[in-house]
Amino acid sequence: MKNCKNKYFVLLVIFSIFSMFTGIQTLNAQTTEKNKVRIKADYVKIMDSISYLDIAATSRIEKQNTTVSNIALTIHNETEEEEIEIGSTITNSKGKSRFIIKDLNTLKPDSTFTYTINISFKGNDAFKKASRSVSFKNAGISATISEKDSTNYISASLSDLSTNSPVEGESLTVQVQRLINPLKIGEEFNSTDENGTILVPIESGIPGIGGNLNIEVVLEDHDDYGTVKKIVRAPVGVPIVEESTYDQRTMWSPRNKTPWFILIFTNLLIFSVWGIIVYLVVNLFKINKS
Amino acid sequence: MEKFNTLVQDLAPRKFSKRGVIWTSFLLVLIILGIIAYIDQLIKGQEVTNMRDYALWGIYISNFVFFVATSFVGSVTVAILRLTKNNWRTPLVRIAEIISVSAIIMAGITIMIDMARPDRLLNLFIHARLQSPITWDVIIIPTYIVISLLLLYFPLLPDFAILKKHFKEKSPKLSKWYGKLSLNWTGSKAQKALQTNSIRIIALMIIPVGLLLQTIDAWLFSTTYRTGWDSTNFAPYFISGAFVAGVGALVAVIYVVRKYRKLEKYITEQHFDKLGKFLVLACLIYLYFNINEYLIPAFTAKKGEAVHLDTLFTGSYSTLFWLVTIVGLIIPTIVLLFKKGRRPLPMFYVGMIVVIGSWWKRFIIVTPTLLHPFLPIQGVPESWHHYFPSLHEWVITVATLAMALLMITLMVRYLPVIPIQRTADEKNIIDDNNKNLES
Repeated sequence: MKNCKNKYFVLLVIFSIFSMFTGIQTLNAQTTEKNKVRIKADYVKIMDSISYLDIAATSRIEKQNTTVSNIALTIHNETEEEEIEIGSTITNSKGKSRFIIKDLNTLKPDSTFTYTINISFKGNDAFKKASRSVSFKNAGISATISEKDSTNYISASLSDLSTNSPVEGESLTVQVQRLINPLKIGEEFNSTDENGTILVPIESGIPGIGGNLNIEVVLEDHDDYGTVKKIVRAPVGVPIVEESTYDQRTMWSPRNKTPWFILIFTNLLIFSVWGIIVYLVVNLFKINKS
Repeated sequence: MEKFNTLVQDLAPRKFSKRGVIWTSFLLVLIILGIIAYIDQLIKGQEVTNMRDYALWGIYISNFVFFVATSFVGSVTVAILRLTKNNWRTPLVRIAEIISVSAIIMAGITIMIDMARPDRLLNLFIHARLQSPITWDVIIIPTYIVISLLLLYFPLLPDFAILKKHFKEKSPKLSKWYGKLSLNWTGSKAQKALQTNSIRIIALMIIPVGLLLQTIDAWLFSTTYRTGWDSTNFAPYFISGAFVAGVGALVAVIYVVRKYRKLEKYITEQHFDKLGKFLVLACLIYLYFNINEYLIPAFTAKKGEAVHLDTLFTGSYSTLFWLVTIVGLIIPTIVLLFKKGRRPLPMFYVGMIVVIGSWWKRFIIVTPTLLHPFLPIQGVPESWHHYFPSLHEWVITVATLAMALLMITLMVRYLPVIPIQRTADEKNIIDDNNKNLES
């Protein structure tokens, strides 16, 4: 009986030790906290082209902002009554993703004609779950090029497409697409008038391939409409004359395009000198024979 | 007849003395060591050198430029003195021709040593762009080798015929070789006319070709738009430098040959005096171009060039720069201005100093510029900011110098270092055996 008691006591001790380790393990797991993910999303609409959401995921780890790559995000269209999944995306190595909204007409607005898109992250072993909502109304920009007194103008109109009404008092940016950064033209702020319209002169002398300029009219990062961009291709620039010497015979061309003067002068020298050398060698033969 | 025999006896090649054997063996050892180092370089690649991304031309190229410069002695001494009918040249021209041939052959070999993939040598011809100075160099070096060989060979023809006869009994085998090389020379009018005409043509041709060789060598540098090389002055600067290196080498070799072969009767103090005047002229011209090359940029230098000049004048290369300029150029000029300085022994020392100075001068021209690119040197190990040749580079370079000296030694051993026939003609010593043939 006494042996039996001892046996139970030993089992109890072993169980207690095991429980203690389990407790420590749990404690350890609790100390490895998951990091928060911050999701940022901007709505961009390019007229007569695509609309998309530019998404960026970051996290503050060890007091430093770090991009969060390779996380799956789910995109929902939210209204008062329902939440419809419209797709998913994964962030790239820089923590960014571009989600293209194939057709704005397939999304449902709320009663105020506002579209709400929710981007959510379910969370994983390293990061907590997170989400972000973006709301925007459907706006449109139309633009035309006109000429008056030998000056070219771009006329652009901003309107709220849900109500078909012009948007007054908003600043539009007018710029020409360039290789690295766009070239802004006109005033710094071009506010729309009561018809939602601006009129900006296009400076003469801006170079473009074939004289064509890609002029952008942009409503930038608006609280209600997001970013809306209209691109107009206009033949109002100065054609770029390509100054390539690729087909010419230059000092830096490949061997089949050697300049004629080098070809003639060098070969003349080579053949003259080697001609004389051959003559001298022939003289050696003559000396040998005579 | 006796006089002619004495002349031939004096000037005919002789077997090596004990010292000659030791000297040749020493050179052979250096060459074998160099070949071993070069094979190792071929197997392991150019990583055995200290040439890296920036200092991509090291002592191989400065050594190449030195050889090219030294080979100019053929154009200067032989051709110019011949065309200006300076008869005192006779005992000196053969040695000048020998130095010229040896130096230009070694220049060709040295440039191949610098190639990481010598098996691709043929590509230089197959894919040659005539716009490139490298291509011009590839063309001019073999051309100059051939012309230098012809300049050496044509005047040797009558001497070979004399040596054929001279060695007929002493060494029939050698006599047979001289006979073959003499191209059946009998001294007939037709042969003499062909030979004289050919020598005149070569003497005329080697001057522009020699100038072209030095110019192209300079353009290899000055067409690269680099600090220290980007100079319109570079071609004449190189030509005048070659003038100094060539005549310096000639003086040094002539002194040794004269002493070793006991030719004091033929190469007199007057010859050294004239060569000394020739060398001082070369040094003064070179000094003038040096002043142009360094003084004007010192006034007008932009930042990049100023850094380069500071390195030369007061920086890490200043000791070498001033040694080369003062000891290698200014002091020899001063010494040579005095008659006592133009005596054989002082001239030998001056010649040696000038040659050594000329070698290091090429190092000064090549390396510091490479270490001063327009864009700062970044993202490379600290050791890449500097250049000093590796053991492989030194051993191989010394071997190339030994090869040039061995070539000179062997030619001095087997060729008459002073033209026998020409000396006889000038001294009106008639070989009775050939009298009938010559007339």
